[in-house]
Amino acid sequence: MTGTLLFQSLVLGVLLGGLYALLAAGLTLYFGVMRVVMIAHSAFLILAAYLAWFFNQQTGMDPLLSLVVTVPLFFLVGVGMQRLLITRLRPATLTMMSVLLTFAVALFIEGMIGFVWSGTQRRIQLPYSSASVEFFGAHIAVVKLVAFALAALSLALLYLIMKHSRFGQALRATIQHSEAAQLVGIKTDRVAGFGFGLGLATAAIGGTALSLDATIYPSLHWHWIGPLMAIIVVGGLGSIPGAAIAAMVLGIGQSLLQVPLGTTWAQTIFYVALFVTLMLRPQGFFGGRLAQRF
Amino acid sequence: MASRLSSRTARRRTAAVVAGLSSTALVLTACSGGESEGEGGGSDDPIVVGISLPLTGDFSEPGKGVQRGYEAWAQFVNEDGGLLGRDVELKILDDQSNADRVVQDYEALIAQDEVDLVFGPFSTRLVVPSARVADEYGMLFVEPAGAANEVFEQGFENLFYAAPAIADDHYNYLADHILDMPEGERPQTVAVASMDDPFAQGTAYGLRDKLADGGLEIVVDEVYPPNTTDFSSIAAKIDDSDADMVIGGTQYQDAVNLIVALQQLDYQPDLAAFSTAPTNPEFSAAIGSETEGILSPTGYTETASWPSNVDFVERYTELHGNPPGEDEANAYTTGQVVAAAVEAAGCAEQGECQQELISWLRTNEVETVVGPLTWDETGKPQGAHLIQQYVDGEIQIVLPQDAMEADFVYPKPAW
Amino acid sequence: MPNASDTRHPTSTAGSPAVTATEPTGTGATGSGTNRTWRRVARVVALVVCAALVLAFPELAPNAYILSAGIVVASYACTATAWNFMGGFTGYVSLGHAAFFGLGAYGTAILIRDLGLPSFVAWLLAGLLVLLITIPLGIAALRVRGASFVIVSISFVLILLLVFQGWGSFTGGSDGLVVPRPFPDLLRPEHHRVFFYLFAALLAAMLLAWWAIDRSRFGTGLKAVREDEDKAQALGVPTRNYKLVAYVVSATFTALAGGMYALWFGDLDPIFQFSIMLGSYMVLMALFGGVRHLYGPLLGAVVVGVGLEYFKLEFGDTQLHLVATALLLGLVVLFMPDGLIPAAQALVKRFGPQDSSIREVTAAELLERNRAASGTAGTTDGDRDEPADAAGTGRSEGDASTGGDR
Repeated sequence: MTGTLLFQSLVLGVLLGGLYALLAAGLTLYFGVMRVVMIAHSAFLILAAYLAWFFNQQTGMDPLLSLVVTVPLFFLVGVGMQRLLITRLRPATLTMMSVLLTFAVALFIEGMIGFVWSGTQRRIQLPYSSASVEFFGAHIAVVKLVAFALAALSLALLYLIMKHSRFGQALRATIQHSEAAQLVGIKTDRVAGFGFGLGLATAAIGGTALSLDATIYPSLHWHWIGPLMAIIVVGGLGSIPGAAIAAMVLGIGQSLLQVPLGTTWAQTIFYVALFVTLMLRPQGFFGGRLAQRF
Repeated sequence: MASRLSSRTARRRTAAVVAGLSSTALVLTACSGGESEGEGGGSDDPIVVGISLPLTGDFSEPGKGVQRGYEAWAQFVNEDGGLLGRDVELKILDDQSNADRVVQDYEALIAQDEVDLVFGPFSTRLVVPSARVADEYGMLFVEPAGAANEVFEQGFENLFYAAPAIADDHYNYLADHILDMPEGERPQTVAVASMDDPFAQGTAYGLRDKLADGGLEIVVDEVYPPNTTDFSSIAAKIDDSDADMVIGGTQYQDAVNLIVALQQLDYQPDLAAFSTAPTNPEFSAAIGSETEGILSPTGYTETASWPSNVDFVERYTELHGNPPGEDEANAYTTGQVVAAAVEAAGCAEQGECQQELISWLRTNEVETVVGPLTWDETGKPQGAHLIQQYVDGEIQIVLPQDAMEADFVYPKPAW
Repeated sequence: MPNASDTRHPTSTAGSPAVTATEPTGTGATGSGTNRTWRRVARVVALVVCAALVLAFPELAPNAYILSAGIVVASYACTATAWNFMGGFTGYVSLGHAAFFGLGAYGTAILIRDLGLPSFVAWLLAGLLVLLITIPLGIAALRVRGASFVIVSISFVLILLLVFQGWGSFTGGSDGLVVPRPFPDLLRPEHHRVFFYLFAALLAAMLLAWWAIDRSRFGTGLKAVREDEDKAQALGVPTRNYKLVAYVVSATFTALAGGMYALWFGDLDPIFQFSIMLGSYMVLMALFGGVRHLYGPLLGAVVVGVGLEYFKLEFGDTQLHLVATALLLGLVVLFMPDGLIPAAQALVKRFGPQDSSIREVTAAELLERNRAASGTAGTTDGDRDEPADAAGTGRSEGDASTGGDR
C-alpha cells in the first residue's frame, strides 16, 4: 500500500527532476559564461509556455510544434539580450546589477503577459491529457512522460554540444578562464552571447514541456525561480552536471517529502538544501572553485 | 500635469495624489481640493458607489465577474429610473488582489472621492481589511464574496454578506443526505484536499467535519498553497488511500488540475464534490467532458423562480449573450440589498444616513435574485446553498428535495 | 586583471586624495572657503525646510487618503533607508529584505497577541528578536558574495513565506492576523496623523544613524568592503564582522519599519508581508535616489512611491503598472546606476561653475575609464582566481586611507 505510493512518488520525482534539471542547466549556463544570475529565466519559461498555449489555441495543433518557432526565437532573444543589455553594465558591478536588470526583465515579461493575455489561469486541453501508462504499479501520465523525454533529450543534446562541438569547447573555455580563452583566439564576447542564447533556448523547451501538464498564469515564474536558484547553488554555480544532479536529487526529495509533509512544507527542501550547502560547502557540491566567490 | 488622459476623474485623482505628495504643490491642492470635488448632495447629482475589485492579480477572474454583476445592476437601476430618482454611478478601482491596495482604494473612495455608498470587494482575504476601513468611517459594507467564518468574527457592525450562506454551510444539504443513507451503502472513507484559502477551506472543512462527526473516516487531509500547479503528488496520496469520496476545497483552476491528476491515476471515487469550479461554464471542456456525477454547492441558479431573478437573467442575457454566473449574481445581489436599504431609509450619503441603512438591514428581509435574505447581528446570512450535480452532461440541482431538477446520482459514474 | 588596471591609473597621480562620492551632500566641498560656508548654510536651510514640510504634511494633506498615501511613502522611505545600511555601505544587494519587514510585522503582532504586551513594547521587542535572529542568518548569508548572496537573500523571503503560510496555528496562515490598534479611541484620520509622525521619527532616527556611521571608522571600513573587499581585508579591516554588523543594523531597522507598518495597517497576510515585490521596491528606491547618499533612499522613496501611485491610477486596470515599474528599474540600472543625486550633480556640474579640481569617481567609474583608456577589450569579468570582481574593483589604497581621515 505505502510501497505503491512511495514508488509512485519516486517516479513523479524523477519526472519533475528532469524538468528542473533542464531549466537549472540553462540558469547555470548564464552564470558560467557571464557571471549573471538570470532572474528572468523562469519568466521566459512562462512566456514559452504561454506561446505554446497560444499556438495551440490558435491553430489547434499540438503545442510541441510551437518549439519550431520558440527555440530559435528565444536563442536570438538571448543573444540580443546579452549583446544589448548585459554588456552595457559596468564590469565591476556586473553581478549585482545584472540581477536587478534581469529582475526588471522578469517583471516586464510578467506585466506584458498579463496585459496581452490577462491574469486568467490557462491550461492546454489535449486529447491525451488524462491518459496514463502503467509502470510497475505506478501510473505515469503521458503528458509528463512527453515532458520528461523532451527535457532528457534536450539535456543530452546540450551535453553533446558542450562536449563535442567546437562551439562547446569554446564555451567551456570561456567559462573556465575567459582571458586564457581570449589569448588562444576565442571570441569570448560572441561565445558568451551564444551561451546566453543557448540558456534561453532551454527555457523555451522547458516552457513548452511545462505547458503540457500545468496551469500557467503570469506570476507563476516566482514559483519556479526560487527552487531553480537553490538548485544551481547546491550544484555549484556554473556547473551544468552539478545543476542536473542537484535538480534530480531535490526534485525526487520534494516529491517524496510531499507524502508525509504536504505541499507547502515539501517546498522548503530547496531552501534547507541551500542553507546546508552554504554552511558546509559554499562553493556547492559539484562546482569548482569559481563558485565560491560569487 | 496636463497630460492626455481618458477620464476626467482619473485626471483629478492623479493630480491630487501627485500634487498632494510633492510638497511644493501641497497648498495648491488644499485650496483647489474643495471646489473641484464639490460637496454634492443636490437631488439631481448621481449617487456615487465606490468599489474596489481585483481586476488584476490572483483573484482577477472572479473579480471581473463581480464587476460585470455590479455594472449590470447599475445599468438596470438607471434604466428603471434610478435610485431615489437619482442616477447611480459606479466608481471602480483595481486593487490588484493586494490587501494594501484595497485599503488604500477604500480610503481614497471614502475620504477623497467622498462617494455616497460603498460595495464590497472580492475574496475573503481582501474583505476583512476593507471592511475595517468602511467600519471606521461608519459606512455600510455589503459584500458579495467574503464567505469565510472569520469574516464575521471581527466584530464589524457594518458588514452584511449578500449570499445565502457562509462557506462552512455550503454543503449542509449534501452532508445531511450522506448521513441519512443506510450505513452499508454510504461512503466510508473520505479524502479531502483544499487550497490554503479561508473560503475554500471553509467549504471543504464544513463538510469534512460534519461527515467525521457522523462516523465517516477521513483518510487524507491535504492543504496546498494557492499557487500550486502540480497536483500529481496530492492525487497520488488520494489514489493510494482509495477513499470512497473525495472533497475538493477548490476555486477554479486547482479543481481542474486535481481532477485531471486523479484521472491520470485512474482513481474512481463514489462521490466527488468540488467547490466553485464545476459551476464555471468552461469546467466541462477543461476536464475533457468527464464531468458526470461531480457535485458542487451553489448559492445561485439562473433557473430560480424568484421574481427579480427572472428579470435579471433575461436582461443580463440580452446584454452579454450568456446567462449570469454565481459571481455576477452575488454582485447583483449586493446592489439589490443596498438599494432596498436606500429606498427604505430614503437617503444615500455619508454620515448619519449610513447608520440608518445598517439598522434597517439588521431587522428586515430583502428579496434578491438568490432568494430572500436576512442576517444575524454579525452579518451572517441565514440561508443554505443548493447542491448541484452533473447529470446527463448538465449541471442540475439535486438537493434539497423541494428544489431538485434531477435525481441525486450515487455512486458517481467513472471519469 | 583589475590589478593591471590599477597600475594604469591615469588619475592617481601623486596619490591625490580622490574623494569618493560618498559624502552625503555638498560634494566638491573642497572649493574656496566662502563657497564652503555658503554650501553649509544652504544645506542647513534645505534641511530645515524639508523637515518643516514633512512635519506640516498632515496639516496640509487635503484628506485622509492623501495622508495615508503619505504614510505609505514614509514607510517606503524607512525601508529603503534601512536597506541602504547594507546595500549602500557594503555594496551587497539584498533582494530579500522583505523577510525582515515581515518578521518585524508578525513579531509585533504575535507578541501583542500571545504575551499581551503593550503595542510599542512589543514593537521594540520584535525589533530586538529580529536583531538576534539576524546574527546567525547573517553569518550564513555572508559566507558568500555577489550572486550567491542575492540568491540567499531572495530565498529568505520565499522560505519565510512558506513557513508563515504553512504554520497556520501560530501565524494565522492564510486567514491572516489582525493586529490590535495601539490607539483604539482615535478616529481614522487622527490615527493616520499619529502614525505619520511615528514613521517620520523612525526615519529621522535611521538617517541619524546612517549619518553617524558614515562619518565613523566603521563606516569607512564598510565602504572599503564595497570598493574592494579583498584589499580591505588585506589592510586589516575586519570585513566579516563589519559586514555582519551592517547586516544586522539594516535588518533590525527594516523590522522596526515592518512592525510600525503592522501597528498602523492592522491586517497581516503572509503573501503581502513576505513579498518579493516589496524587497525589490526597496532596492529600486535606494538605487534610484543613490545608495551612496544619506538622502538617496528617501528621495527615491518619494519619487518611486508617488510614481507607483501614479502608475496604479493610470494603468491600474491592466498589468501595465508592472511594466512601468520594470522599465523604471531597467532604466535606472542601465543609465543611472549611481542614482538621481549623482546624476543631478553631474548635470549641475556640467552647466554650473567648474569649482572643483578634484575628480569624484567611484571605483567602478574609474575602472571603466582605465579600461577605456588602456584600450583593452573589456572582458566580461575579472580573473577567476582573483576573487574581487563582485564587490567592485579598482583603486583601494587611496580610498581606504583618505576615508580614514574624514
